[in-house]
Amino acid sequence: MKKERSGKLNILKRTEFSLILIIVAIFLIAAFGTNNFFTSYNLTNIMKQCSIIGVISISATLIIITGGIDLSCGAICGMSTLIVAMGQAKWGMSVPAAITVALAAAIVCGIYNAVIINEFKVPPFIATLGSMTILRGLIKVISNASTIAGLNKAFGEFASESVLFIPKLAVIWLIVVLVGFFILRFTTFGRNLYVLGSGQEVARLCGISIRKVTYMTYGIAGFLCGIAGVMLASRINSAVPTAGSGYEMNAIAATVIGGASLSGAKGSVWGTALGTILMTLIDNAGIQFGINSFVMEISTGVLITIAVIIDQLKNKKA
Amino acid sequence: MGEDIILKVENVSKSYPGVKALQNISLTIKKGEVRALLGENGAGKSTLIKCIMGVEKSEEGTISINCEGTWKTPQTAAESKECGMHANYQHVNIAKELSIAENYYLGRIPTTKFRTVDWDLMNKESRKIIDKFEMGVDPRSKISRLPVALQEMVTISKISVNEDIRLVIFDEPTALLENDKVEILYRYIRELKSQGVCIIYISHRLEELMKICDTVTILKDGEYVDTKNISEVNKDMLVSLMVGREVSDLYNIRHIDYGEELLRVENLTSGKKFSDISFKLHAGKILGFAGLVGSGRSEIMRAIFGVDSLDSGDIYIRNEKVVIKNPQDAIRKGVGFLTEDRRKDGLALSLSVKMNANMYSYDLISKAGFISLAKETSRAEEYKTKIGIKTPDIEQYVENLSGGNQQKVVIAKLLCRNPDILIFDEPTVGVDVGAKQEIYKIIEMLAGQGKGIILISSYLPEVMGLSDEMVVMAEGRISGVLNKQEIEATTEEDVLRLASASV
Repeated sequence: MKKERSGKLNILKRTEFSLILIIVAIFLIAAFGTNNFFTSYNLTNIMKQCSIIGVISISATLIIITGGIDLSCGAICGMSTLIVAMGQAKWGMSVPAAITVALAAAIVCGIYNAVIINEFKVPPFIATLGSMTILRGLIKVISNASTIAGLNKAFGEFASESVLFIPKLAVIWLIVVLVGFFILRFTTFGRNLYVLGSGQEVARLCGISIRKVTYMTYGIAGFLCGIAGVMLASRINSAVPTAGSGYEMNAIAATVIGGASLSGAKGSVWGTALGTILMTLIDNAGIQFGINSFVMEISTGVLITIAVIIDQLKNKKA
Repeated sequence: MGEDIILKVENVSKSYPGVKALQNISLTIKKGEVRALLGENGAGKSTLIKCIMGVEKSEEGTISINCEGTWKTPQTAAESKECGMHANYQHVNIAKELSIAENYYLGRIPTTKFRTVDWDLMNKESRKIIDKFEMGVDPRSKISRLPVALQEMVTISKISVNEDIRLVIFDEPTALLENDKVEILYRYIRELKSQGVCIIYISHRLEELMKICDTVTILKDGEYVDTKNISEVNKDMLVSLMVGREVSDLYNIRHIDYGEELLRVENLTSGKKFSDISFKLHAGKILGFAGLVGSGRSEIMRAIFGVDSLDSGDIYIRNEKVVIKNPQDAIRKGVGFLTEDRRKDGLALSLSVKMNANMYSYDLISKAGFISLAKETSRAEEYKTKIGIKTPDIEQYVENLSGGNQQKVVIAKLLCRNPDILIFDEPTVGVDVGAKQEIYKIIEMLAGQGKGIILISSYLPEVMGLSDEMVVMAEGRISGVLNKQEIEATTEEDVLRLASASV
């Protein structure tokens, strides 16, 4: 068992280790530097903020490991938010039914991506750019570009509830991370993601069914975005046409910061989770310090650039 | 005497983090001398070449070149080029999306008086070079559209474009060339020689070195071993100098009597790639496939393995007719395929040795999709020892291993499924002599275990030396089949003739 800790695992640990250091540093700076950061209200807020993007980031991680990319994950989340809200407010469904339909729709969106990518050989970037635009349009059409309110009371309160000081949303995020970790570490399917990310030809000659892996990955990703969408609906207790907008960028950023490579075959759910926390923390700390929010927007871009540069340098050394 | 020496390497040392690549190397090369540079992978050949060419800077020592009586010490790659030093590297290093003519004129595109590109001049001059090297293509052809053998010829012929040539370094130039084109390279080398150019020639093909080189320098573990006249050495001596131990005939492996028929193919045809291919493979037999690059050998195996489709023909495994539609089918029927280009489709370069060894066969160590991590590790360790993969640990990324060890990882990957039929497509390309021997021993061991082995190799001494039976292919058809006695009785020239036969 000791042997496992050398080589590849060591390098991964280094990314996560430095991330943890940076997170702790920012946490301390913000806690001592401002009045409101270290309050239970703010900390719970941070956790809730992390949760939704965190779940989407895990879906991005799976896809990026296979060497693909999903620009539509934010839109799928938004579609799921819309459907779970419409189900309750307009279509007279029970909460479980609305959630089921929303998740099913999200899976369909994911499968749609897989079809375009696998059957029509469209590069994932273009394919998901297309589906993102289509979905955004669909959302506006279905909702008539208006906010949907009038959701089930208990549903709306779910997002503000906690279990032992941990917001329920964060619990869901944690479960998703654990399942993601499980898949990647212990299953053949998980290994196949890394092999596919290494190259299509390699995967094919190993007898891996590229079609199966593609469909499953984008399907699961859709499902996860669907969950995020339901979480979001509960959080804002409504559905807005712009729900989830821009989340795809955050998700991809978190994944890359967490050590994944856009060329595939690298990545871990823990790294992504830490990346999500880091980005949310910086955002929150910025607000607490009263920094101009436009300046904060720049911080995400800077973060990604630094993360990728560090990744490149690490690769050169190896 | 001093006039004669063109290149002087004095006490050159170079290290990379953690590795002493070169230690105190000194040598001199005379005008018109063809010096072979020999050594195992990791011996320091590439580093020495890079230092000579100014691509890397040595920490100690000097490298000087005699430019018409004046000794110059170029510090950068650009200065080296100005002093007339040129190199042809191992991996085809040209602009793939540009045309042949554009590549020849890279950096010095001729312009007309209107300052536009003079395509006419470029193409005309390029055609002269193309004809000289018998390439038979249009100078406007895009590199990426050419077969690899021609791409390699472009990089070689590119050297002749320069006006000032004093030293040329060839690094494995024939690895990718077609057998019948190799003579053109030799001709060019002889031409350079007569012009007084000194040449450094790196190759693992000892037979080649004996043919065209005057002297040979041997490196081992970054250190200088010796320089000898080619007339003073033979193959075995060279190998022992390189490897540091006694080595007998390279291709001498034990052959056993054949067992049952494992594979039989009848009348396989696939469009223009190959037609009417039939052969049998028995347990314990090494069936060699010789032929020129592009004769269809790899294509046949890819079809048998289910990567490409077949138009017609039947495949029987253990006398049972099988239909193979994808690699999974072939794998499940007990076929293992070591592909021609391991970097492209044999290995996941950015993944660990452990994962690469297991990735063919995770289903064998998992229940309901869940992998036994213990078995994953123990299997990798087992084959690492059995096959002798040199790596500090199995978590090492495969891209950091040497060519020979990478190939061993591919073999380990195949063996994890214990296939009965093994197809090795050019298993020793990019592998140094020491590791080559080890791979031959592995082949011997596998044949001894009763596995049927198909060996595709474009290197005639290798395929003729190892095969029990040899199929020669030309332009998609079988032009000859030789058994062991016939192989021993024939010459390489005869086999080449069969391989070039117009069928």
